[in-house]
Amino acid sequence: MTLGAWLELIGSGLITGGVYALVALGMNLQYGLMRILNIAHGEFLMVGAYLTWMAHTSLGLNPLLMIPVAFAVLGLAGMVIHFLCFRRLVSTSPNLDIFEARGLMVAFGLMFLVQNMVSWIWGGDLRGYDFMTDPVQVGGAPVAGNKLVVFVLALLFSLGLLALLRATLLGKGVRALMQSPVGAQLVGIDTKRLHPFMFGIGLGLSGVAGCLLSMAYTISPSMGEPYTVTALIVITLGGFGSMGGALLGGLLLGVVEAIGMHYTNPSLKALLSYIVFISVLLLRPEGLFTRKTRKA
Amino acid sequence: MNDRQLLTRDLLVLFGLTGWGLSLPYIGSEFMVSMGLTCLMYVALSSSWGLFCGSTRYLSLATSAFFGIGAYTCAMQLEQLGWAATIALGAAVAAGVAVVMGAAVLHLRGTYFAVLTFGTTELIRHAVTYYEKSVTGTVGRVLAVVPERDTIYLTVLLLAVLTVGLSMWVRRTRLGLALMGIGADEQRAQTLGVNTRWVKLAGFAMTAAVAGAVGAAMSVRWTYIDPHTVFNPFIGFQTVLIALIGGAMTLWGPLIAAIVFSLLAETLRLQAPQVYMMSLGLLLILCVLYLPGGLASLRWDTWKLWRDDTRAWWKEKKREWTGEKEREKKRSREQRLV
Repeated sequence: MTLGAWLELIGSGLITGGVYALVALGMNLQYGLMRILNIAHGEFLMVGAYLTWMAHTSLGLNPLLMIPVAFAVLGLAGMVIHFLCFRRLVSTSPNLDIFEARGLMVAFGLMFLVQNMVSWIWGGDLRGYDFMTDPVQVGGAPVAGNKLVVFVLALLFSLGLLALLRATLLGKGVRALMQSPVGAQLVGIDTKRLHPFMFGIGLGLSGVAGCLLSMAYTISPSMGEPYTVTALIVITLGGFGSMGGALLGGLLLGVVEAIGMHYTNPSLKALLSYIVFISVLLLRPEGLFTRKTRKA
Repeated sequence: MNDRQLLTRDLLVLFGLTGWGLSLPYIGSEFMVSMGLTCLMYVALSSSWGLFCGSTRYLSLATSAFFGIGAYTCAMQLEQLGWAATIALGAAVAAGVAVVMGAAVLHLRGTYFAVLTFGTTELIRHAVTYYEKSVTGTVGRVLAVVPERDTIYLTVLLLAVLTVGLSMWVRRTRLGLALMGIGADEQRAQTLGVNTRWVKLAGFAMTAAVAGAVGAAMSVRWTYIDPHTVFNPFIGFQTVLIALIGGAMTLWGPLIAAIVFSLLAETLRLQAPQVYMMSLGLLLILCVLYLPGGLASLRWDTWKLWRDDTRAWWKEKKREWTGEKEREKKRSREQRLV
C-alpha cells in the first residue's frame, strides 16, 4: 500500500472516530458524574439528526446553523428529563447500586419511548439531504467536504468540553463531584443545580453529534442504537468516567475499525469490535489508559 | 396465611390457570391460540428471568442469546432427534453456554454485568451470522418438517407451567434462600457460608435452560429462522420489561404482566405498533419511579399512599404559591433575633 492510501484509510477512520468520541464524551460525562448509564443516548442523537433534517428540508435552514439550536433543544430536554425522572430516583433510592440499576431501567424506557415516538412522527424510512458534497484536497488525498466539516466540528466540541472541564470553575466543580460526591458537597458545590445542568450538556452534545451526522450520512429512527453500543465500547476502552480516555478511545476505535475492515472481511467488523469490547471489560474493567485502579 | 396455606393457594391458582390454558385450543379461534402462545412464551421467559435476576438483582440481558441458541439447536437437530429430545437438547446447550458465560462474567456486578451480558449476546449473534454466511453459505434456515399446531401449543404450555412450578419450588429450597441472600447482600451471604459462585452459576444456568427450551419450541412456529429474528435483542428486552413491570421478586408478577402485555400488544400492534412500544417504555419508567416492587406489589394501601403523597405535595405547593412559606421563614427569623 502506498503512503497516500494509508493516509486515506487513517483519515476515514479518524472521521468516524471523531463522531464516536463526541457521542462517548456526553455519555461518559453523565455516567462519571451521576452514575446514570444513559442507554438512550443514541436515541437523542437521532432526534438531533431529525431536527436538522427537518429544518433543512422544510425551512431551508443551513445545517450549520442548526448546531446551536440542536444543542439548546436537547440540552433543555435533558434538564426536563432529569427533573422528571432522575431527581425522584436520587431521593428514593437507598444506595448507589440500586440507583444505578434503576437509572439503567429508566434509560431503557426512554430508549423505547424516544425511538418509537420518532418513527411514529416521521415514519421509518431512510432520509437524507445533500450538503457540501464536493471533495476537498487534504495532503494529496481527496476528502468529502461534509465529512471534513463533521470531523473538525466534532473534534472542536470534544476539545471544548475538555477545556471547559479543565479550565473553568464549573469544570472544577464537576471534576470534584466525580472524585468524591460527599467531599464536593461539603465544600459547597451545589449538586442540585449541577446535575441537571451537566445531564443537559451531555444530551446537548449528543444532539450536536446527530446534527453533524445528518450532514454526511442518511438517517433513520434505528440509527441511534449502534452509536449507543459504540459509545459503550469507547467508554470501556477509555475507562468509565475518564474524559481524555473517551476522546482517545473514540479516535482509536475509528482507526482500528477502518484498518480492520480494509484487511479482513467487512462482515467481521461487528464481531471484532465486540470481541475487543468484551475482552477489555473482562481483563481491564478500569479502562486501557487509566493508571490508578478504581473500585468497581 | 401461613406457609402451607400460601403453597396450597399458589398450587390451586396454577392448576386453574393450566386448565384454562388447556382448553384454549378447543374453544378459541386461530387468533386466540396464537395470542395465547405468545403470552405463554413470555410467561415462561420472564418467570425464569425473575427466578434468577429478580432474587439476586443481577440484571441479565442475555435472554435472547439463550432463546436463539435453543432455536438454532432445534433447526439443526429436529429431523434427526424428534420433538421432545430436541427441546431437551436446546435447554441443555443453552445451559452449557450459560455456565461458560457465567463463569466469565458473574463476578462483576451492577451495570458492568448488564453491559457485558448484552455485549455477549450481540457477540453470539454476530458469530452465528458470520458462521452461517461463510461456512454454510446461507443467511437463514428453513424448518421443513414441523409438528402440528396443538403439539407446539401444549409444549409451550407445559414449559410455562413447569417454569412457574420450578420458581415455586426453588423459593422453598436452600438454593432459593441463597439466591435471595445474594440479592440482599452478597458479602454477608458469603460470610454466612453460601458458596455464591456455584449458587449464581446454578441460577443462571436454570434461567438459560428455560429460555433455550422455549426458543427450541417457538422456532418451529416461524418455520424460517435467521439470526436476526431469533437473536433479536428485543426478545430479551421485552422479557426484562415484563418481569420488572410485573415485579421481578414476586412469583405471580411476571405472569400477570405477561398476560396484560400480550393483550395490549395484540390490540395495539396492528393499528399503531409504535404506540405499543411507547407505552411499554413509559410504563417501565413510571413503574421504576413509583412502583419499584412491580404490579404484583400493588395493594389497596399503595393507592392510599399515592393519594396522601399527592395531597401533601399539593398542600406544600399551595403554601409556596400563596407566600405562606416565606412568611413563616420570616417569622421564625424574627423570633430568633428577638
